Amino acid sequence: MTMEPILITGMGVVSAIGLGKAQTLEALLAGRSGVGPLKYLKTEHKEFPVGEVKLTDAEMCERLGISLDAVTTRTALMGMLALEEALNEAKLTQEMLPQVGFISGTTVGGMDMSEQYYLDYLHNEAHKEYIAVHDCGSCSEMTANRFGKFGFSTTLSTACSSAANAIILGANMIRCGEADIVVVGGSECITKFHLNGFNSLMILDPQPCRPFDATRHGLNLGEGAAYLVLESAESAAKRGVKAQALLSGYGNACDAFHQTASSPEGEGAYRAMKEALELAGLQPTDIDYINAHGTGTPNNDASESQAMKRLYGENVPPISSTKPFTGHTTSASGSIEAVFCILTLQNGFLPVNLNWTQAMEDGIMPLTQPTKKDLNHVLCNAFGFGGNDSSLLISKTRDCETQDKEQKTCITNPIYVVSAKQISIQQPLSEEWMDQPIEYNVPFTRSIDPSFKDYVSPIEARRMGKILKRAMATSKEALKAAQMETVDAIITGTGYGCVENTEYFLDALSNEGEQLLKPTYFMQSTHNTISSLVAMQTKNHGYNVTYSHKGISFDSALQDAWWQFQLGKLGTAMVGGHDEMTETFYHILKKGGIMGQDEELCGETAVSIVLASARRCEERSHPEYLCKLTAFRLLHQPTMDVIKEAVKELLHSSGKTLTDVDYILTGISGNHHNDQAYHEETKTLFGKTPLLRYKHLFGESFTASGMGFYVAAQCLKVGRIPDQLFVDVKQITGKQPRCILIYNRSDGKNVSLTLLEA
Amino acid sequence: MDELIYTLKQQIIETLNLEDMTPEDIDENASLFGEGLGLDSIDALELIVLMEKNYGIKLQDPNQGKEIFKSVAVIADYIAKNRTK
Repeated sequence: MTMEPILITGMGVVSAIGLGKAQTLEALLAGRSGVGPLKYLKTEHKEFPVGEVKLTDAEMCERLGISLDAVTTRTALMGMLALEEALNEAKLTQEMLPQVGFISGTTVGGMDMSEQYYLDYLHNEAHKEYIAVHDCGSCSEMTANRFGKFGFSTTLSTACSSAANAIILGANMIRCGEADIVVVGGSECITKFHLNGFNSLMILDPQPCRPFDATRHGLNLGEGAAYLVLESAESAAKRGVKAQALLSGYGNACDAFHQTASSPEGEGAYRAMKEALELAGLQPTDIDYINAHGTGTPNNDASESQAMKRLYGENVPPISSTKPFTGHTTSASGSIEAVFCILTLQNGFLPVNLNWTQAMEDGIMPLTQPTKKDLNHVLCNAFGFGGNDSSLLISKTRDCETQDKEQKTCITNPIYVVSAKQISIQQPLSEEWMDQPIEYNVPFTRSIDPSFKDYVSPIEARRMGKILKRAMATSKEALKAAQMETVDAIITGTGYGCVENTEYFLDALSNEGEQLLKPTYFMQSTHNTISSLVAMQTKNHGYNVTYSHKGISFDSALQDAWWQFQLGKLGTAMVGGHDEMTETFYHILKKGGIMGQDEELCGETAVSIVLASARRCEERSHPEYLCKLTAFRLLHQPTMDVIKEAVKELLHSSGKTLTDVDYILTGISGNHHNDQAYHEETKTLFGKTPLLRYKHLFGESFTASGMGFYVAAQCLKVGRIPDQLFVDVKQITGKQPRCILIYNRSDGKNVSLTLLEA
Repeated sequence: MDELIYTLKQQIIETLNLEDMTPEDIDENASLFGEGLGLDSIDALELIVLMEKNYGIKLQDPNQGKEIFKSVAVIADYIAKNRTK
């Protein structure tokens, strides 16, 4: 399957080599690195050169006209600087944003503030307003909300490939006809947390980094942000904006090898590049330049070299890593380097691989001289921990046909919900709760865990926090129930990720200082650890991403799967929602007003769901399933009118009317403010349709909506609704459920609508 | 030396979170990586932290660890010769 190219009609960039495209281009042409001694981050590790953005947080606020007292994070501030440039270039005004999507990638989120104020969070009331900006999703929202109200927003968190995967999701959204314009990219500041984390893994070079060099000894950390405006050809023509370049292909694959190391043969990298070429309908020989991931670690560069050699043999095209210019800008590297690639296409040059002197054994030979060259197609690689490997294929602007042709292939097909398994504060991996739910009268409780011995060996378990073990158990049980060995894609949502290990690492950093930190804690603190470990354990090289956007993390994962099913890209997928909570973090979040307000019960939830297309569902020997997913919509900060319209479209698309919906499953949780909104909105939208709830049994968690999905699917399967789920006992009628609409309102503003049918 | 070997085994079990193991389960002469216990590169990094924290031995290069971390007996020998605490 090939795609019609998508236009890139704007871009903005901030990194160690400059603010904005002009400075960036000048530095690239001049071969001027932005890596140098550490200046802005307060850390003991002065021995490591870094690629910092040459502004303090206060200077960024000043540039942006933001009050110095405003609650913000460095990741959000850099994001705003880059986003402003991109929106301006694409001539996008505030009034247009409700029609525009915003998809950002980050891993660090607001960790720069959490690591400064962690002891305050634990012991007193100071700085508690920063608790709400700890997570990845908050940073995206702060960045986006400065410019207006985008119609869709989510956050990818796949470590160092986050921004590349944000670009891929945006492209899928446009190809599905869900939006004409999507702003995509990522932002990440340097923090003590990951500087020390990378140091504990011993992959930081105390010298300037030397990708693909025989003497390479690790990476230099960098920071920055970049956003691209992706746009359909019709929209750009209608608006009269020019394409800067074209996104003509992309690939995402999982190395499924090791949490922090790439496979010797570069399996994930090879597959990602190959997929990008296939989607673009191009041959390897059509590529004029590759911007390598090239971090400078012995492992990455060896593995990436192998992947290139597998694709090209000995005739690899010109390659360079631009990491010596900027340092490794981690989550933002995918979009920052995509901007570099566009600049090379526009200006006809190849950026040099700085600091390279000696060929490495079995490695590729990078560009050492600045070269002028007319380019048509370039590949841009971004790989992340856990083997989340992505590759983007960017081409020089040419006349594009409109995208009608491809849009016609996007039809709404029901997706089969084949199986779903949960671990929570109810009986784990069981449907016993439907007859005998456990009732809690404590505000917070941790999950009831099964024995994990059947799912992970002791040697594997030694490096798995609870959240990871639960993900393994639910995933393996869901696959077994689905009678499947594996799936085409693993898509996971987690609001806060591996909280337990993040807490251990923050504790050590705050109490014992920046020495002797445990690598095991750090490597489990990235959000994509869950999804990539599931891939490793099920030997899955397919599409693999992680969403981390507060209460819509699971919904975002489901949205991604939904679009790819519509595109015909997926036949099967595992969609997961996983969040754990510790006593300490529960108290921090309660203090920050994020959880545990009023009568809300907080828990932990792990849900793994196997979805399949009709064909893949039916081709099994026992084609059983729980229910059908017939429509899904995720709305960003919608008004009541927008929700009304979305409900109408949703029902229409699956040939239903409001009277066909038997029950509305809500996320009513005991939080008075939210619950009131649920009552008012559902009354306006659905009149007297009986309301159900599940969070009083399973507890609130960032991905509790995944539990809601599981609950509705089980009710449809068994054909009854347990009495305990009714919000109002007067509405118990014994009516068999045939159609349930899940109405999920999260973080007080985002709404998702899921239509499940028997 | 026997006492150091026993303590070291306890520390390895704790550091690497080998939940179900006891010092008796580890053969001090068996290889820790690959065949024997099946440890990997992350465990090697954890052992580097262990060496510095408990014995004041600083290893700068993970490759250096490969020689030293052959078996519990080899590590104990290295500690005995190089410890600063």
